[in-house]
Amino acid sequence: MDSLIPFTTSGSLVDCVDRKMLVILRDGRKLHGVLRSYDQFANLVLEDTVERIYHENLFAESWHGLFLIRGENVVLLGEIDLDREDDIPLRQVEYHELEPFHKSAIELKKQNDDAKSHILYKQKGFCKEGGEGDGY
Amino acid sequence: MLPLSLLNAAQNKPMLVELKNGETCNGHLINCDNFMNITLRDVYQTNSDGDRFWKLKECYIRGSTIKYLRIPDTLLDAVKEEQVRAREVGRSTRGTGPGNRGGRGAPMRGRGGRGGPMRGGRGRGRGVQ
Repeated sequence: MDSLIPFTTSGSLVDCVDRKMLVILRDGRKLHGVLRSYDQFANLVLEDTVERIYHENLFAESWHGLFLIRGENVVLLGEIDLDREDDIPLRQVEYHELEPFHKSAIELKKQNDDAKSHILYKQKGFCKEGGEGDGY
Repeated sequence: MLPLSLLNAAQNKPMLVELKNGETCNGHLINCDNFMNITLRDVYQTNSDGDRFWKLKECYIRGSTIKYLRIPDTLLDAVKEEQVRAREVGRSTRGTGPGNRGGRGAPMRGRGGRGGPMRGGRGRGRGVQ
């Protein structure tokens, strides 16, 4: 990264434009797409976007197209190395095959979090202040 | 093309808006502002599980509640072409009209580049050093 650019959103993301990027949202969704534009809030325009879900050593993609993501919801934005992209030790399957497993994994995580917060807030007396419930 | 300019250009286009709570709204964009507040017409709203639906004639969504918007794939290309055309027009009027040099020309170039102008700016900076 060029040290002459100050560490701002625009300074950090300028090199990512027109590259294939991975975006992780606060709700846990993982989107792969080409970054076409952004602004000072890290609002993003992603073209040819696919959503990827994972379960154990399987993954699946579902096509979404053009996205405008509100910056607040972005957790992570990372460049995908096109040379190594295909080397991952995961097998691609059909989205509709994997979706039920993915959904039940999310449901299980939610149940765990509910149980945890029940113990923390109801039994141990911790306060709930500021928590939005998703760890971010 | 900044994200909010793209949204502006999407007026009257169909789109899907997902809110932070997971609810979605499908409809045509009537209007939007710089806070990303939007109004939609002929809206189908779903709850976060996607198993209940409501039809609304028109709705207003506060920008801060939006997670993302899905817009038609063709819009990006349409806007790019529109920009090229606008630049052509700008160039020709700049050439003939003595009144509008400078002030109008500079922002035109900046808007058209999409990433380019920033890199250009950096290049100049390095040259000075």
